[in-house]
Amino acid sequence: MNPSGDPNDRDAEAHAPELAELRAALRALPAPRVDDAAVRRAFRDRRRELDAARAVARRRRARVHAALAAAIAFVAVGGVVRFVVSQSPQRSQAPQSDAPAAVAAFQPLLYAPEVAPGAAYSVVRVRIPLSSLTLLPAAGADGMIEADLLVGEDGLARGIRFDGAGALPVSQASY
Amino acid sequence: MSDTDPTLDDRRDASLLLAIAAGCEQAFVDLYARRQADVFRFAYAMARSRSVAQDATQEVFLNVLENAGRFDVAKGSARAWLFGCARHVILDRLRHERRWTDELPELSAEHDGDAELLAAQRVRRLHAALVRLPLEYREVVVFCDLEEWTYAAAAAVLGCPVGTVRSRLHRGRAALAALLAREDAPAEPATLRPREVYP
Repeated sequence: MNPSGDPNDRDAEAHAPELAELRAALRALPAPRVDDAAVRRAFRDRRRELDAARAVARRRRARVHAALAAAIAFVAVGGVVRFVVSQSPQRSQAPQSDAPAAVAAFQPLLYAPEVAPGAAYSVVRVRIPLSSLTLLPAAGADGMIEADLLVGEDGLARGIRFDGAGALPVSQASY
Repeated sequence: MSDTDPTLDDRRDASLLLAIAAGCEQAFVDLYARRQADVFRFAYAMARSRSVAQDATQEVFLNVLENAGRFDVAKGSARAWLFGCARHVILDRLRHERRWTDELPELSAEHDGDAELLAAQRVRRLHAALVRLPLEYREVVVFCDLEEWTYAAAAAVLGCPVGTVRSRLHRGRAALAALLAREDAPAEPATLRPREVYP
């Protein structure tokens, strides 16, 4: 009754006989009969449930792992691409390059004579006020823009080109 | 409990648990046959309801089947582990159901004489008082006073220090004595209280 052997535990001693009776009664209590077949059935059912649950968990884990692997691969490829692009000579050395920059084609002017393949032409660089151009994004602003005019031997302009982004802003006032 | 050497018993239980973890059906059947009565009695002592105890016993063994892989011989005895599972299942069930059962205990079917009848009444009264204790006191009283476990063994199952077991047991016994004393006290005669008169 009193495994502590504590003589001061009066509550333990006071109800010792009743607790002993209850203990004896519980020990004499008949437990339910063991049904071997039912136990085996319960075992198999539960195992089946557990196996199914584990399979679901495995599939879920595999999906998470695949997603993680894809994310890592994406980040790695992105990093490699960024590195390659940043190291590419065309990009990093473009401003110092001696190679001729791509030249924009001349655009034919309205109501001008056609350009003939065998004829001689001159290229004249001019500055045009932005306010006079109605189709450019910065039209109407103050400032000038540089352009090349293709001029024939007769003195008439045949075409015009705006030679690259670097040639466009002449005046800060254009922005 | 079986009458053989408890150490051998525990080794046998431990080997059965390991076999269950490996998926052995016969080991499960054997463990059920060996320990079902102990778990049932523990559940009955806690719940004082045969149907609750039966259901809880089934659930305990299904729980064992699911978690046998977590049993570690190095961490404790198989009996402590098994009753730890039983305790969790039964406490969950009692908390969930909030069942304060008034079922009559089926401790003895017939009584031959007055002495036996009185003893049965005393047992019934004590058990009724026991299941009215808070769960943390009740389980300690069941483990230490009814199952006669040592404080250390009870502490291993409950996952608390021995000192906690000791203090809970002390309080549990005191609460049990108070409940029984309240029942023993003669009922106060009904008195007519003057009705309150409201202006």
